[in-house]
Parts: sequence; structure tokens; C-alpha cells
Amino acid sequence: MSDKLKQVISRQNKQQQNESIDQSDDIVQLVGFIIGEEEYAVPILSIQEIIKPFTWTRVPQVPKYVMGVFNLRGAVIPLIDLRLKFGLSEKKHSDETRFIVMKDRDDVAGFVIDRLTMAIRIKKENIGPAPDTINGDNTTIDGVGKQEDRIITILKVNKLLERDF
Amino acid sequence: MDEFQEILQDFLVEAFELVEKLDEDLVELEATPEDLELLNGIFRVAHTIKGASSFLNFDVLTHLTHHMEDVLNKARHGELIITPDVMDVVLESIDLMKTLLNIIRDTSSDAGVDVSECVARLDRISGGDGDVPAPVVAAPAVEVVVDEPVAEEAEPDYDNMSDDDVEAEIQRLLEQRQTEDKAKRAAKVAAGEEVLAPPPEPDEETSAQNAKESEPEKKPEPKAAPIKAPVPRASTNARSISDDEDLSSDAKAAAPAKRSNASVDQTIRVDVKRLDHLMNLIGELVLAKNRLIKINDDVEERYEGEEFLEELNQVVSIVSLVTTDLQIAVMKTRMLPIGKVFNKFPRMIRDLSRELNKKIELIIKGEETELDKSIVEEIGDPLVHIIRNSCDHGIETPEVRLANGKTETGTISLTAYNEGNQIVIQIDDDGKGLDADILKNKALEKGIISEKEADNMGEKEAFLLIMKPGFSTAASVTNVSGRGVGMDVVKTNIEKVNGIIDIDSETGVGSSVKLKIPLTLAIIQALLVGVQEEAYAIPLSSVLETVRISKDEIYTVESRSVMRLRDDVLSLVHIGDIFEVERILDSSEHAYVVVLGLGAQKLGLIVDSLVGQEEIVIKSLGEYLKGIKGIAGATIRGDGGVTLIVDVVALMEIAKNVKATSMISDQKSESAQSREKTKASDYTIMIVDDSKTDRMIMRKSLEATGMSLVEASDGLEALNILKQGDHHFDAMLIDIEMPRMDGYTLATEIKKYNRYKQMPLIAVTSRTGKSDRMRGVESGMVEYITKPYSADYLSSVVQRNVNFKSEFLS
Repeated sequence: MSDKLKQVISRQNKQQQNESIDQSDDIVQLVGFIIGEEEYAVPILSIQEIIKPFTWTRVPQVPKYVMGVFNLRGAVIPLIDLRLKFGLSEKKHSDETRFIVMKDRDDVAGFVIDRLTMAIRIKKENIGPAPDTINGDNTTIDGVGKQEDRIITILKVNKLLERDF
Repeated sequence: MDEFQEILQDFLVEAFELVEKLDEDLVELEATPEDLELLNGIFRVAHTIKGASSFLNFDVLTHLTHHMEDVLNKARHGELIITPDVMDVVLESIDLMKTLLNIIRDTSSDAGVDVSECVARLDRISGGDGDVPAPVVAAPAVEVVVDEPVAEEAEPDYDNMSDDDVEAEIQRLLEQRQTEDKAKRAAKVAAGEEVLAPPPEPDEETSAQNAKESEPEKKPEPKAAPIKAPVPRASTNARSISDDEDLSSDAKAAAPAKRSNASVDQTIRVDVKRLDHLMNLIGELVLAKNRLIKINDDVEERYEGEEFLEELNQVVSIVSLVTTDLQIAVMKTRMLPIGKVFNKFPRMIRDLSRELNKKIELIIKGEETELDKSIVEEIGDPLVHIIRNSCDHGIETPEVRLANGKTETGTISLTAYNEGNQIVIQIDDDGKGLDADILKNKALEKGIISEKEADNMGEKEAFLLIMKPGFSTAASVTNVSGRGVGMDVVKTNIEKVNGIIDIDSETGVGSSVKLKIPLTLAIIQALLVGVQEEAYAIPLSSVLETVRISKDEIYTVESRSVMRLRDDVLSLVHIGDIFEVERILDSSEHAYVVVLGLGAQKLGLIVDSLVGQEEIVIKSLGEYLKGIKGIAGATIRGDGGVTLIVDVVALMEIAKNVKATSMISDQKSESAQSREKTKASDYTIMIVDDSKTDRMIMRKSLEATGMSLVEASDGLEALNILKQGDHHFDAMLIDIEMPRMDGYTLATEIKKYNRYKQMPLIAVTSRTGKSDRMRGVESGMVEYITKPYSADYLSSVVQRNVNFKSEFLS
């Protein structure tokens, strides 16, 4: 009898879920930014906020690209320098430097980027896969977006937020 | 959440609570077998669990509890005497029941445990004394499990119903149940008075019948009862036997309303997550409070004597007072009496004493002492190990005790009490005690310590050897202990909650283990220390003292730094060596040593400065940065910055492997001057003045030389430019009167940096007083130019100070 009960209940739950129909669009919204010479982008929904540089606290025993932690309205959040992470040289923060706070489920981290470009709307069909040479499960590249005059590397936020040391 | 899961959860919560109480009662029952009150209580527990589990289709559990119920029922009616042997079987069945409940919790099913043997034994006990038992109870003993699900209320075949029908059926049953409940409650009120005179005999039959009949109706109960009303167990205990067992949960729900208003605490069950969330919010508030206090201090300094200050002061102190109270209040909601942990020990001692053939009495004191829930969960295991240890190694056998002139029965006392911000749990036994020499020899034998360490070891340190993994003095491994694992668990768990272990013992008289545990984990007192430009927080509970020392008090022994602290030698480690702090600032002649204590271990941590004591809220560094050795978390300070919290346990570990870098290292001053200058613009001068005109005048005076010039409008800006290290400055021109940071302070700050030690600082000011000049010299200025000055004079002073080569002058 309890099995029946379970069935009934789970069926009801399903009904509720179906009511909110998923309206998927074939336009992807991204936020573009520059690191070094390249333009990169991440999905706009994975960005919690973008803030101006801020003081942070160094954390010992971590790779150099983990700059430390900072206080985002009461939460202690790691700060990662994407320049260093992508193997570029260190650069002084300028007026255009921003921290992009990205989240993936419960994981949150701030990323230092050289400057923002713009919010980008791009059709799904204009996004190609990452070049074969860097394919594999380990890449942080999700795909390559093509626009009239430029190419944008789209990053995997969950990979960026993954601890790799 | 799935509703079935919800029902199951409620069932489990209730069942675990009941079972916990059961253990205690059963042990007591053995001592007073004729206590009907107790028996009834126990019987009801078995019955409740049986009822609920049959509703939830846990056949194995139902099967088991049913047989337990039989035995207990017999005992209840005086048909069975509870002997220790009977008790062993009953206790075993309860253990099985716990195992089953655990399995249910983990897998939502009760498969995989074989209860048949235990059931058979239970059956033998209840069946053993003939056919006296009422047939109603005994007969369905075996079939019940198989029969009931089918037989209940002769319901229509659910499997063939459509889903809608099933729902309608559920609705119908619920309604039926509700009306029944109402009727019962009404009856209860009427029956209330009669209940006081218990007629156990006539009750039996109806109860058995009711029990059978009402089985299917049980369904809404496990769900409804715990939610609607907290279970006021006291009241059910106080009630008499005559209650039909199937009504008991009913009675629980109804009781507070009509009977024991006064004696029962009003409680509500709250999800721990909500409390955690509340605690987090309080944490935020404490941080905001700290910040407010800091701002208040700043404002006070700035507007000294202003009237509004007093009002501000008042508000700040009220806010901080209320915040503290609020924090305590919320902390209290998370507190559980330690009795929750202590409860299981009477049973354990009983089992152990039977197993070991010793006579042991357990005395529990202070079980009402309260501790944070998360800590209560952590200390259960350590206590088990300590008590097992006391029973096995501490307490002697009765013969030995008598021979030594002690009483036959050994005593173990378990005491909990508050001491300041800590809870102390003390476990004393009057056994043979620890012998420091034996411990040392054993440790030597096992290679845990070296000969030298053994010689230097004090008594207390020797006692702590029993906490080492792999250490055991037991001649042979018994069921109870001797594997050398248990006490290591104690150490790990206690250290996990920032606790301290203290062991005291006297050979032949007994030993005493004290666990000192902080009240809560979320908000702690911390000592903030500074090293270079960084700050770290050290939990105050691990800080024994702080000492100010001068550099020559530090000695090096076998490439490790040590110092003499009164009569002891304290090994030292620099916090900068542990946390890879870059040494930018020159360390002063004096340093502070924070003496950390953990158990009997001590370590001196050298820091540059002591910032002060502060209440901090522990925040996790999150998934990305977790597991950094030596860091326990982070906290947010009054100024909004993040400060890392030192993990003292890990730090002690790290310290063992850190090579001391010499404190008095004369840094190779890679001085700016030594750089080859090939053209005039290789010389860089910083001009610090808040007036734009003045900066302009200086710039004009120096431009002719071709030197590179950098401007800053006040001390702070200048300092920041220096810190960034973009330029290599050969000299600085500094105005004295500036907002934010004046010239004297700037000069003092600059001189703290090794790399700028040699840089000439030139004061350019309209202050001409002698005392001004004196201050200038004190703060490290080499020249003092008074405004107004001629351009040539300024230029020549600068050129002289940077050794400007004249050939660059065009």
C-alpha cells in the first residue's frame, strides 16, 4: 500500500513540475571580457555580479593564480587571477580591471579580468565546438562564438570554479 | 520532499528518540525488576515502533518488535521475571532494532539483517513458561507479520485500483481516522479520572484486540503526532498502565492540553537548518557590530568633545549589548543537554562489567549541562572510548580490588560542568591508575618516542602517550580494548572541536581524564596577531600566554629556534615561515611569542605584533580553498577585510617540519643606488605635497635636470605608489602638512621597508621651528628645506642626495 502511496505522490509532483514549461530560446546571452589579447565570454546567467577591484587577503599554500579571498557582503569568496591562470604575466590592476563573481550551484568565486567588453547575444548556431587540438574533458573552453568580425572563446564556468590543485 | 519520505523521517526521529530512552530504562529495570511504571514505558516504546513500522511496511522490524513486545508484556503482567539473562536477550534485540532503524534511515528499507535468531530466543523466553499467556497475544506472534498487511480492515485490493481510487481511498481513511481520533479524545477526557487507579488485568484483552484492529489506522499517527505536538514523555510516564497502548500516542498528543499543563515544557521542533541560518545571521550581526564599534572609535577621535558623541556612544553600546545577548540566546537554542550523550553509558557499563567480570558502578553528574548540538554529536565517540578504557584498564577485578583494600565495586564517575567559556567533562575512575614509567617504556618499545624524549618527558606528557595511535598497554587484545586505536579517536575528535585533554592519575588510586570543550564552534574569541602587513586570528582557547622577547633571547638548537620560558624550553616557529609571508618590512628588535597549548603540547609562535582580542565569526573558505593546512577558516573584520583563522592543531604539525629561517637575517640590500645610471631620466624622484602649486614649483625646479618625476598628493597615496613598486625611487620630497597622512608619519612608515631604508627623504615645508626639524630627523628625514626656497637650491640638494652625475646636465 505504501508503494501505491509513493506512486501517487510522485505523480503529483511530476504534474507540478510540468506546469512550468521550459521555454528555451536559441539565443545565448554572454558577457564578454578581455584577458591579455583575447576576448572571452561566459553565460550571463552564471555571473552573480561584476565589481571593481577590492582589497583581498592572501591565502598561503595555493598556486599563484589564487590571489586569496575577499569579502563579498559577508561571504568569504576566493579570488582567482585569470591572467595567471591562463599562463600570462602578472599585470597591475588598472581602472578597467574588474572582478567577475561567477557561480555554479553552490560554488562561487571572483575572477580578475583585464577589462569588460560587452553583453553579447549570439545565436546558438554561431557557436562552434572548441578546436580539436584542445578538446578533451579537461578543457575550460566550452566553445567558440563567431560574430561578424571576431571570435570569442566561451568558457565553462563549472570548470573555472573547479579546484585544480 | 516526497511525502512518504517525510512520514519516514518523522518516524525515524521519533523512533530514535524512543530507543535512546529505552536503553536507560532497561538498565534501570534490571535493578528494579518490579517497577511497573518503567516496564510499561518500555512496552509502549516497543509497541509504538511496531505499529509505525508495520504501517510503513518494514516487515523485519515489525517481526522483531512484535516479539520484544511479547516478552515485555509477559513481564508486565508478572508472568516473567526479568533476570539478567532475559535482559541480555532483550538488550540484544534492542541493539538489533537500532541496527534496523539505522539501515532504514540509510536505505529506506529494512532488508539485510537477520533477526531470526534473536526472535527465536525472545520466543523461547516468552514461550518458555508454558501456556499461561493469553492466546490473543501469543498466537498471532508469528503470523502477524504475514497476515496483517493483507488482513487489515479487509480493504479492497489496492493493487487493482486506479490511481484516483487510491487517492479517494486515502482521503476516506484519513477522514475516518480523524473522526475516530476526535471520539477517542473525547473518551479520554471522560476516562481521565479512572485512569489513576490502574486495573492491569482487564486491560490486557482489550488492548490486545485494539492493537490488532487499530494497526492499519496507525498510519496518520506517526505523521501527525510528532508535528502537532511535541511528545511530552514525562506525562506519559506519569500516566498509568491502564492506557491502551494503541492510544498512547494519542494520549501524548492530547495530554498537554488537559492534564499536565503546568509540568510540561512547551516546545516546538525546529529544523536544525533554520537554526543554522539564524546563527549565520547573528554572525553577520556580530561582524556589523564590530565594525560599528570601530567606526565609533574613529569618530570619537575625530570629533572629540562634540555633544552628539555621547548619544552615538550610547546607541553603539546598546546595539553591542543587545547583539551579545541575542547571540547568547540563539546559541542557547542550539544547546542540548549533555545527558543525551551520557544516557547510553549506563547500558554500556552494564554490558562491559558482565563481559569483563568486574563490578562497576557508574555515577553521572551534571547531565543537564548544555552544549552546542554539533559538539554533542562529536563527543559521543570519545567518551565511549575513554569509558571503555577505564573499565578495561582502569578498574581492577573484584579479587584484586579486595586484595588492595578497596571496595569490590569499582566506581566510574562521569561529570559535566561549566567552567568559564568552556564545558568540562570529567571521567574519573578509582582503578589502578596510570604509571608514567610503564607508559614510557611501552612507548619506547613500540618506537613511538625516542630514548631522549623519554628522559625529558614529564609525568603529564607521559600520560598523554596513551592518546598516541598504536599505543596500548593491554597485554592482550580483548573485545573491549587493547588495539591502540580508541584513544587516538579521542584525541582527534576532541581536537576537532578545539577541545583540550588533560589526564591526571595516581598509581593505585585512580585516574581522571578531563575534556575541556568550548561552548560553541561558530563564534569564538580570538587573539589577532600581525606579521608584516598581514593579520591572523588565533583561537584564544589555545593561547596560554603571550611574551614579549628581544631577538637575542632566541637560541638555535639543532636548527630549530627555541627560547627559555621560565624553567622550560619552548620551541619556536615564526608564523611567517608557516604561512610563507614575504618579509618586506624590517622586523624590529622585539618580537612577540604567542604560547600555544594543545593538550600538554606547547609551541611558541613568533609574531611581529599583537593586535588584540576580538570576537570572531568563523566562516568556511568554501569548497575551492578547503583543506589548506594550518588554516581553519576565515573571518570578516570590523574594517570589512578578511582575516584567516589559524588551525592550531595543524600548525603544531607543520611546525615540526619547518626549518627556522634566521630571524636576524641581514637582508642583502639590493639598493637602488647600486644600479647603474646611464642617463638623467634613470633617476626618479617622488614629490609628495597636497598643494598642486607647490608640486608644480618643485617640478619646475627639477625638470631642468632631466630626472623622472612622480607626484603624490598625500602620504597615503605616496605609500601606495611605493608599495606598488612600479618605480625605483632615488629620493622623495615630502611636505609635512598633509591631509590623511602627514610627512612625519609617511617617513616613519617608509623606513619600515627594507628596500627603502637607504632612500633619502627630503622635507620641504614652511614649518621652521626647531622642534619641527627635530621631529623630521627622528622620523628619518635627511634634509630639511624650508619654504620658500630657490629652484637652484632645491635642485642642488636633490642632486647631492642622489649622487647625480654632473655629466648628465646638459
